[in-house]
Order: sequence, then C-alpha cells, then structure tokens
Amino acid sequence: MIKAILVFNNHGKPRLSKFYQYFPEDMQQQIIKETFQLVSKRDDNVCNFLEGGSLIGGSDYKLIYRHYATLYFVFCVDSSESELGILDLIQVFVETLDKCFENVCELDLIFHVDKVHFILNELVMGGMVLETNMNEILTRIEDQNKLEKQEAGISAAPARAVSAVKNMNIPQQIKDIKLPDLPQAIKDLKF
Amino acid sequence: MPAVRGDGMRGLAVFISDIRNCKSKEAEIKRINKELANIRSKFKGDKTLDGYQKKKYVCKLLFIFLLGHDIDFGHMEAVNLLSSNKYSEKQIGYLFISVLVNTNSELIKLIIQSIKNDLASRNPIHVNLALQCIANIGSREMAEAFGTDIPKLLVSGDTMDVVKQSAALCLLRLFRTSQEIIPGGEWTSRIIHLLNDQHMGVVTAATSLIDALVKKNPDEYKGCVSLAVSRLSRIVTASYTDLQDYTYYFVPAPWLSVKLLRLLQNYTPPAEDPGVRGRLNECLETILNKAQEPPKSKKVQHSNAKNAVLFEAISLIIHNDSEANLLVRACNQLGQFLSNRETNLRYLALESMCHLATSEFSHEAVKKHQEVVILSMKMEKDVSVRQQAVDLLYAMCDKSNAEEIVQEMLNYLETADYSIREEMVLKVAILAEKYATDYTWYVDVILNLIRIAGDYVSEEVWYRVIQIVINRDEVQGYAAKTVFEALQAPACHENMVKVGGYILGEFGNLIAGDQRSSPSVQFQLLHSKYHLCSPMTRALLLSTYVKFINLFPEIRTQIQDVFKQDSNLRSADAELQQRASEYLQLSIIASSDVLATVLEEMPAFPERESSILNVLKKKKPGRVPENDVKENKSPTPMATVHHNNELYTSATGQADLLGLSTPPTSQPHSSSNTGVLLDVLGDIYSKPCNNVSAQNSSIADFKKFVCKNNGVLFENDLIQIGVKSEFRQNLGRLGLFYGNKTSTALQNFVPSLVWAEEQATKLSVQMKTVEPVLEAGAQIQQMINAECVDDYTDTPSISVSFIYNGVPQKISIKLPLTLNKFFEPTEMNGESFFARWKNLGNTNQQRSQKIFKASTPMDLQAARTKMIGFGMQLLDGIDPNPDNFVCAGIIHMRSQQVGCLLRLEPNKDAQMYRLTVRSSKESVSVEICELLADQF
Repeated sequence: MIKAILVFNNHGKPRLSKFYQYFPEDMQQQIIKETFQLVSKRDDNVCNFLEGGSLIGGSDYKLIYRHYATLYFVFCVDSSESELGILDLIQVFVETLDKCFENVCELDLIFHVDKVHFILNELVMGGMVLETNMNEILTRIEDQNKLEKQEAGISAAPARAVSAVKNMNIPQQIKDIKLPDLPQAIKDLKF
Repeated sequence: MPAVRGDGMRGLAVFISDIRNCKSKEAEIKRINKELANIRSKFKGDKTLDGYQKKKYVCKLLFIFLLGHDIDFGHMEAVNLLSSNKYSEKQIGYLFISVLVNTNSELIKLIIQSIKNDLASRNPIHVNLALQCIANIGSREMAEAFGTDIPKLLVSGDTMDVVKQSAALCLLRLFRTSQEIIPGGEWTSRIIHLLNDQHMGVVTAATSLIDALVKKNPDEYKGCVSLAVSRLSRIVTASYTDLQDYTYYFVPAPWLSVKLLRLLQNYTPPAEDPGVRGRLNECLETILNKAQEPPKSKKVQHSNAKNAVLFEAISLIIHNDSEANLLVRACNQLGQFLSNRETNLRYLALESMCHLATSEFSHEAVKKHQEVVILSMKMEKDVSVRQQAVDLLYAMCDKSNAEEIVQEMLNYLETADYSIREEMVLKVAILAEKYATDYTWYVDVILNLIRIAGDYVSEEVWYRVIQIVINRDEVQGYAAKTVFEALQAPACHENMVKVGGYILGEFGNLIAGDQRSSPSVQFQLLHSKYHLCSPMTRALLLSTYVKFINLFPEIRTQIQDVFKQDSNLRSADAELQQRASEYLQLSIIASSDVLATVLEEMPAFPERESSILNVLKKKKPGRVPENDVKENKSPTPMATVHHNNELYTSATGQADLLGLSTPPTSQPHSSSNTGVLLDVLGDIYSKPCNNVSAQNSSIADFKKFVCKNNGVLFENDLIQIGVKSEFRQNLGRLGLFYGNKTSTALQNFVPSLVWAEEQATKLSVQMKTVEPVLEAGAQIQQMINAECVDDYTDTPSISVSFIYNGVPQKISIKLPLTLNKFFEPTEMNGESFFARWKNLGNTNQQRSQKIFKASTPMDLQAARTKMIGFGMQLLDGIDPNPDNFVCAGIIHMRSQQVGCLLRLEPNKDAQMYRLTVRSSKESVSVEICELLADQF
C-alpha cells in the first residue's frame, strides 16, 4: 500500500502532499521534513529506494523516489508494493502531468494544486494503484475539464493573469536530468 | 492537451506570488495571517459568496495548509460546496475535505449525506468523486453507511468500468477499516470473477481487493488461484500489441502482472490441480526466458517494467519453494543482476537473494555469489545497496562459510557507514555465536567487535559474551587470557573494560599462575582504566575487586585501599558509595568461608534464547533476514548434551538459542525443565512407544521415585506395577510386583530390560525371568539386582509387553535406579563442610549449578522430605540461612567413591531455587544436579 505521496522541491518546500493513512497535521509536516532530509542528501546516481523514515510504519516501509530537476517525487510505501512498479508509477504520474500541463514545471504544481490532486486521484485511490493506462487517465481528466468548461462559460479570463504572474517569476522548469526520455522533449520557455 | 491550465484564479495567483516573494519566514507568516483573516471575514460576512469565490478561498486555504499552517475553519464552507450543482465547485469541496477532514470530524454526517446523493448520480464522474472521498476518509461511519451500496456497485452489470474500478478500491479501503463489511456467500464468487473482467483497469483494482480478502480468509477465496493463473498466462503470452493501452513500454500490463504474482504468493503452489500448477510454472518460465531476450527498447522504463514483473516472478518462485529448477534459474538471473550497471537492479537482486538463501534448494546456489556480494558490501557507492549486501551475507551464512563471512564483516566494520554499524555488530555477534564450533573463536570475534566498533556494541552483545563464557567451562581460561591482553592496549573501549572486568572477576584465577598476569598485575591493569570510566562501569569494577578479594586474598589490602578512597567511599554517586562501603565491610568482617560463599562464581545462565536477535528483530521487525536453512538439519549430537547440564541448555538450544525456531517468549523455567527431561527421554528411548499418555504419566510418576524407594510405579486399567527397593553400598535390589487387574489372563507376559550396552558397563543390571502368563487377579514378583560400577546418567527402564484379549499391549517404565540411590549419607560439621565446599569449587569441572523456578508453590517441609529421600545427609544448622538445605553424601561405585556436597537455596520472593552440586567428579555433579532439579 502507498502510505503517502510527497512532492517537494530541492529546498524542501512541499508542493504536493497526499496521505493515504491518517496522520495529524503536525505529523504530516514532520514526515515531509524527515523524508526531504533522507532523500535530498543522496547522490543522483544511487538507487531509487531507501529504507528508513521513523515516522510512518516503522521498518515495513520504503521510500521510492525520483528526482526531476527541481522536484523530488516520493512515494512512501509498505513492503506489499513492487519497488520497480512504483518507480514506473511515478513516471506515469509525471508523464501525465506533463501531458496535462504541456511541459510541466514546478510552478504548475504551485498554481494548480487542485488540478494536480485531481490527476493523482485518477492514478491512486485509497493508497492503491487505480489506473496505470495514461490514455485512460487523460481521457478522464479531459471529461472533467469538459464538464467544468460547460459550466464556466466565459469566466476563463483569470487564466491570462496566471501566465502574467508566471512570467514575472524566475524560471523554474523541470528538466528531466535523470530520465532524459520524457515523452516530449521539454522545450525551453522564453522569458 | 493543455486543457488543465486554462482557468486560473487571479486572486489565488496573486496570493501565491506574494508568498513566494516573501523574504523571510516572518514575512510569510504575516502574509498568511493576513490572508486567513481576510478569508475568515469573507466566510463570516453577510454577503453570500458565489461558487467561484468559495472555490478561490478554498484553494488558498489548501495552499496555506500545504505550507504547514493549521487551518481551523472553512470546513463548513467546503461541505456546502459538496451539494453545489456545479461540478467544479463540488470537486473543490471534495478536495478540501479529503485533504483536511479527518475521520473524527463532526461534519461527517453532513458529508455522508452529500456522498449518498452523488453516489446515486447518473454521471460517473460524480459517482467517482464520491467514491474517492469515501476512500480518502474511510471511517467506520462510512463503512456503515455505504457497506451495502458499494459491493452492489462493484458487481452490478450496469456499472461502468471506471466506476467499478473505483468501487473495488473503495471497498478495499472500507474493508481495512471494518472487516465485516464484505458480504460472504455468493458475493465471494462474484468478486473473484472480476479477475475475468474485460477491462484491465478493473482487473488491476479487483486484484488489490482480492489480495486483501485472501489474506483474511484464504480458504473462501481459494477459487481466485486458477483465475489468476489463467489471467497471468494470457498476459504473459500476449504480444505487446495485444493489450494496446495497457502495454507499457513494450511490456504487457506490468502492474497487473505484478499484482497477480503477489496474489498468488498468498497460497502454496496449487497442488490439487496439476493443470493450474503446470500453467503457472509455464508462466514463470516464460518470464524468466523473456529476461534473456534482448530489450525491445533502450528506455529505462522498458527495463524497469520488465524487471518489475521478473522480480515478482522470482518472489513467487521463492515463495513456492518447490521447483528446484526454477529456483536455480532464479538464482542465476539474480546473479547476473548483481553486476548490472543499474543500481536499482543490484539493490533488488541482493534483496531477493536474501530470500533465496533461506530455501534449501537454492542455498548452495546463492553461496556461489559470495565473492560478488562481499565486493558489493565493500565497494558499492550506495549505502542502501551496501546494507542489502550485509543482509544477504547474513542470510547466506552457514557453518561452511561462517568464519570467512564474519571476518569480512569485521573488516568492513572499520569503515562501515555509521548508520549500519550497530546492526552489523548485532549480526556479527549472532553469526559468531550460532556457528561457533570453537568458542575461542567466538570470544575473539566479540572482543574484536568491541575493539573495532565499541560504541556500537550494545549491552546485549557484551552481556551475551559473558553468559556464554560463564556457561562454557572450556573457554573460560582462554577468555580470561584474551581480555587481559586486550586490556593492555593503551586506549581501550569502555565496553572492553566491562567485559574484561567481569571475566577477570570470575575467572582471573585461571591465569593468575602466570607471573605476567599475577593477581596484582590484573588488578592494577583494571584499576588503571577505572578513572576513565562511567559510574556504571566503575560499579561493575568494584564488584570485580571484591571478587578478587575472594580469589586472591594476597591483594586484599590493596583492594581495601581502593574501597576506602574518598572518591569511592564518599562518591557523589549513591551506587558507588554503597558498593564501596558494603564491599569494604564485607571484606573486613566476613570470614573467608562466608566470603567464599557470598562471592562464589556466578551461577550459569539458564536462559536459552539470545537476547541479541531480539534486539535485531526489534530494530527491524519483519525485515530481519532469516538465517536458519541449514541449522534445522544438523541437530547437535547428544554427546554434548550429557556433557554438562548447563551446556545442555545451550547445546540443545543451538538451533533455537537464537530464537529462530522457538516461540518468541521464553518459556518459564519450570516447564522448560520438564521439557528438557521429556526431550532427554524421548531421545534416549528411541524405541517407538505406542502409548504416549502412559509414557508421560510414567515420567511424572518416575520423578517421584528419585526421592523414594517404594510405591506404585505404574497403574492403568489392566495392570498395576509396584516396586520395593533397597540399596547397600554399590549394590541394589529391586522387587517388582505385577498385578493383573482384569478378569482374564494376560498372555505372553514379558518384561524386558531397556538399558544401553554402553550404560550397562556402568550400571550392571540383572533381571530374573517370570512366567509368561499372568492369571486374572494374580500378582507375580520379579527380582532385579543392580551394581553400580561407574557413574552413569539417567536410569534403566523396562518394557512390559503382553496380550490382553488378543490385543498386544506395551508399557514402558523407568526403574528407580538413579545414581543417587547409591548415596551413603555423610555427617559432617560446618567447618569441614565449607572447607570441602571451597576446595571442590576451585576448579569448574567439579561443580554444577541450576537455577529454576519452583514448579509448585514452595513448601519447605515437603522439600525437606524430598531431600532426605534423595539419599544424602541433610546437614542442619550449617548454613547461615535456615531456609537453605545443605547436604553431604558419598556415592559408592565398584571402582571408586565420590564425595558429593549439595546446597539448595530457595528464594521465596522470586519463587526460584538455586541448586549447586560439588563433587570430585564432574559428571557426577551434573547428573545429581539434573536429577534433583526436577523435584521442586
């Protein structure tokens, strides 16, 4: 079972946290901190699994993570999960994000926390893998968006504001340095 | 498909930018507080907010929450959003609730109502939102509220795939909360048949659900095995184009394959259906074959997915542990991975091999990779991988390679990562103990551990080495010499001082003959460390010193001076102060006899299970690799068992000394003692016994006869056997009386002696023959003569066979001919008793000791009767403690006479006895101790 999914940046700032087992809020923050400390001190060419983390589940507990440019994606799982399977699941998650956001970057995760959650909900449910077929996931997200659009009507204006704000910020873009084979090569945005 | 990014919210974007631009934590908190106040006032304000505004504020709250700030309001607004007509508002409401609402919330009733409505919606997207929310919260109330709806949703024909899939996982989540939610009966088969569903996503989710159900009720869901195998078979043999979207980087449905392979690990290999079994083996072979094919893509995702399935297949092969061919292939495959350039694969290969090492089929195959594994431990860049290598070395260790592996681990320990040192120390200690054939090696290993990684040597480790040294006579002298040498190092670890102090205090006399380690040299060496040590160690050393007073009276004044020092006698540490003053007084007041008694060598440790393994298990529950493949197959030879009763404890326990095959809790001593007796009997009397209960009762009955000579030895519905016996010097005479209790004659009545030839040279027994027919109601007598030639263990028994009503019967009974029967009581006064006591205690070979729990409530009067019946002279008024029993006696044998002294100390508070026997012959002490220890 997946106990938690955490995404944070190279400085340990949380960008997504989703717990499938109940923890009080302060505990959640501690888990994020501890996980960051464990993961961030590791070199990039070591293995993607590590044991440890005293806060969730004791010893029957592994961290499986990937590091993409500025972001760490960490899945905290117990021993009933296949390590490589979870590693691929992270890849599916990121590829899906990439498709939905067109070259996803850290800022997308910041400004669209809700969307990221909705995508994740199609992938994992109650700590178990729900769907792994990316096309299927994308279709579902698409269906949701359609529904939303029908309701939204003309209120799409604020979207432009987002891109304006985004342009004010320092470029933070996910470059997949570990896995240069994301489905679409990530184009450099011009700032 | 850039649809998602379409419609941001300006207010939200501005707020987030503000936060990101904050220069300091304080500024950030200030900005957040301002925003929280703003949102609060908006929520409380008179103006009704529209959906868009609510959505915006909820998003802001989510963002604030993610940054680690508490959110204590907004829940009600979120609940209101749930019932909105607009999907986007509903969606954000659900999001807020799944992130921020815990199971105990008071709002749960309201939430449940909204979920009910959405669950009934015709729009699958709405239904899924509701299911996601249930799965997120998963409280007991939810299980109650939706316990019937969700199973229906799951198996109904009208449910869309996308909903079915969610329903399966939702049900799983509720099942985790309350197990009774799953309906039984016909539902079982309907749930199992989801494995045949067209939609792979549904099958994946259903497999997760079934896996959990199987864990609770394997028999009910047994039907899933054949379905899972067929499903797996279809996937494995499919070409990657068959499954289209469920093919991931040229690998057909890797996640589903992994889940199915996991599911199958809940069962033993399907034996009753050879077809299923054959198909499963084909699948596994195909997966192994595919691993050898050239990759279809260079992408890491391809190899990941392929290997995820491969590793799971190997796990299943290991779990089934039945196909030697597959096991060896699996081992070879893993061996290839050990030198793969992908760190992940090396890591996983080491992990899987750990499990392989415990299978008898593949244990040897794993050992072939020992060199590579040792290299991994030393050279691997990644500490996680090194850790796995250590685990594997631990798992593959057996008698044949223990010395090498332990040595390599010791070498590596010097440079090992701090994070794994403690665990390594435990592992080395366990392996050294488990595979020590020569206990000097064990002592060397542990002392090396302390030298190399003293800081990581926990108390359990050094306690254990002391326990072992105390329980094993043959290593005591060596241990004393070795610690003495180790202590001579200019800087030695405090743990070394502890071990050294303890061992020299007990066994320093064994090396005192050498001028280089004379008593005063030993003392000075230890005392030179004293000031560098913690109070706890100092306290230990003070005990060592007072023991030295007993061992080496010649350095008494030197030691007394140390006790008298202000830093001890007036130490700020209460424990030190107390020890110093009490030991000092003891050394001044007590006579040498009393000193000898008080300060005698520590009794052997009765405990069987190593505490070290427990520590290791506690450190990593569930993850300690097993190390017991070979061990179960090489029981310790019985010879060692009889060597010495203390040794017995650890020797028979060799397999379970480490708690690997015994139940985790140590048995109470009383029961383990009778257990010991049963074991001994069972092993020696390897003759098959048809009547187990008779055997057991005869053992219980027999125990009484250690302390008495006459009585009923055996009785059942058919027969009664009585005994009368008398002994003089080394000769004994027994009369056995067989009484037929039935009204028919017992035919072919033959009592025969069971006494090993080897034993018979030590106790010769002659038995007169009897008539082969025992008439109804009659009694016949049989005479037995015995002569004690040399000391022996155990006692002869007879096997009585006869035919009653055409049915053959057989009874085995032990004869009351134990060694103690040849005791002649010896009267002596206190002075001579203690003089001999001390004299006999000088070498360890002459003593034996047992500490055990009283099996019945302590009754000193009854104990007294037993002691008198045991045959020795009970010496009253000698022991300072009136409760203690002190006895003396001489055992008469044809060749010699062995004087024997005994002391039994009851401890009423602890309900424990300590029994010490000293005699001029070791084997006698052991046997006497063994015999008597069972009596209380």
